[in-house]
Amino acid sequence: MKNKINIYLIEFAINAILRQKYKSLFVAVVFILLTFLLTSVFFITNSIKYELNSTVEALPEIIIQKTEAGRVQNIDVAEVDRILAVKGVSDAYARVWGYYYFENAGVNFSIVGVDKFENQYKNSLAKIVDRFDFGEADSPLMIIGKGVHESMKKNYYKEYFNFIKSDGTLKKVTIAGVFDGDTQLESNDMIVMSKETFREIFNMPQTKATDIVVKVANSSEIATVVSKLKLIYPNSSIITKESIKVSYQNIFNYKSGLFLALFIISLFTFFIVIYDKVSGLSSEEKREVGILKAIGWRVDDVLKEKFYEAAIISLFSYIVGVGLAMAFVYLFQAPILRDIFVGYSELKPSFELPFVFDIQTLFLVFFLSVPIYIAATIIPSWRVATLEADEVIR
Amino acid sequence: MIELKHITKIYELNRADRVVALNDVSLSIKEGVVLVLKGASGSGKSSILSLIAALSKPTSGEVIVDGKKISKLSDNFASVYRRDNIGFVFQKYNLIPNLSVRDNILLPLVPLNLDAKDAEEKLALVMEMFHIAHKANAIVKNLSGGEQQRVAIARANINNPKIILADEPTANLDEKLSLSFIEILKELKSLNKTIVIATHDPLFFNLDFVDSVVEIHNGIVR
Ligand SMILES: Nc1ncnc2c1ncn2[C@@H]1O[C@H](COP(=O)(O)OP(=O)(O)OP(=O)(O)O)[C@@H](O)[C@H]1O
Ligand SMILES: [Mg+2]
Repeated sequence: MKNKINIYLIEFAINAILRQKYKSLFVAVVFILLTFLLTSVFFITNSIKYELNSTVEALPEIIIQKTEAGRVQNIDVAEVDRILAVKGVSDAYARVWGYYYFENAGVNFSIVGVDKFENQYKNSLAKIVDRFDFGEADSPLMIIGKGVHESMKKNYYKEYFNFIKSDGTLKKVTIAGVFDGDTQLESNDMIVMSKETFREIFNMPQTKATDIVVKVANSSEIATVVSKLKLIYPNSSIITKESIKVSYQNIFNYKSGLFLALFIISLFTFFIVIYDKVSGLSSEEKREVGILKAIGWRVDDVLKEKFYEAAIISLFSYIVGVGLAMAFVYLFQAPILRDIFVGYSELKPSFELPFVFDIQTLFLVFFLSVPIYIAATIIPSWRVATLEADEVIR
Repeated sequence: MIELKHITKIYELNRADRVVALNDVSLSIKEGVVLVLKGASGSGKSSILSLIAALSKPTSGEVIVDGKKISKLSDNFASVYRRDNIGFVFQKYNLIPNLSVRDNILLPLVPLNLDAKDAEEKLALVMEMFHIAHKANAIVKNLSGGEQQRVAIARANINNPKIILADEPTANLDEKLSLSFIEILKELKSLNKTIVIATHDPLFFNLDFVDSVVEIHNGIVR
């Protein structure tokens, strides 16, 4: 009997919420907005972190670029043999790739040239090369990412695309397939074609490559290998995975600062609402508590009722807020809010926020909102409930 | 049996200002008795009812009901005492205006967490007895004064209390409704309830079923 849930009390609490419809509506709207904002921010943050990590993980350990007066130049393919001779280096590949600016859509495609008979420097590329054919020199084919496909389609290139070569003439390349990469960030803006076609479009001679990827079998030797390479190539830039990771994180941390501000603003709003509650009950609410006491409710009966009231409205709002945030972020790809991450989207044009389910975020938002609201409701009610009933209902 | 022993009730308005609402009042009311407290406005009638209902505490003196010192009860026990023993019909009825008749009458039972069947039985009984069953689902604020009073009386009786307290029960009623209230009182007396009515309505002073009329004047009982 003592442990049985009191349906009448819950019914009364629901009734009380419905009776004060404007107040309840106001609280629910503010609450939903708060949980929605907080959860969306956390979801976006998590998704992007996840993307960044998987992108960085897929990067090669060391990349060597040739520089002249600080500007990146093409590197000689022949350097591969010199690099392979360095102790600790297990493999080296000359990469042929570059950004192609598609003016009509105002986007950059990153084009990667591959050779079917060479080893590929990463697995995802090897898979693509295995599955597709890149045609002959006079009838070339290419495989494109989803994002590339979208922007080409919008400009009526459904079956092929005309690249403008450096001499101003056109090179027609037929679309042979569209791929879904392991991670969206990497593959969305990517085009894969044969090295031959790439060299023709970018006017790159056979003896040159964009950069050289170096593999080190033992990751503890990376630093030593890097310093050796620096000695051999004083005028080159040697990029390690670590350094890219750091620069990515810098961009991202700066952006998450903005979100922190947003977060503080929403918390602030929430505390204003709470402050309003703590500073007292309306005279009508006070009177109601007095009446309940006068007809035999104990203080804890009153508090239980207020608890149900607050719990129902805050849980409801929490669930709605989180649900809306999920739909907003993952279904609609967070319009507006996502633009605050502009820095990141410039880095990688179009990407999709992957669904990263993170129970910690849900807990965090829950503890930042529901218990605070319940406490803010219970405390002023407790103050009134412990007054002499006669005073309250007079 | 209700006993008030040398009750003084002083309201401290502020440091300088205080009201002596009751001054050394002693009174004893036997079980099953109907007692009318008569007095002008401000004489202290409501204060006496509040003390009997343990809604307030005396400044000095004791209130004893059935041998229990209820003026010494803690807040929680005072609530339980009210719930089990007192049916209070307040002057302003103290109903919750936006709730239905049935929900208002059920209010005292809510913390008891009774089975639905028990609660419905009790509800039906009092609604029938005080002629308000036909308005069970009406919202209280849309009812007439007389109907609201019957809701208040039904609520006061749902726990079948031994003591009924009524504060100015006819103040808001016309003559016809006042007479029907008196019929209700008779019925309650026939159920052997102890009834205390605070009023200055002369209608109550010469009723055959009223056992005693006590006059109070400026906080002093004569
Ligand atoms: N909570 C309170 N605070 C201050 N003064 C009070 C309080 N309750 C009652 N009083 C004062 O005590 C005196 C007695 O009040 P009480 O309500 O008992 O009189 P009453 O006989 O019921 O009057 P009425 O016929 O107007 O209802 C009055 O002067 C009143 O102003
Ligand atoms: Mg009075």
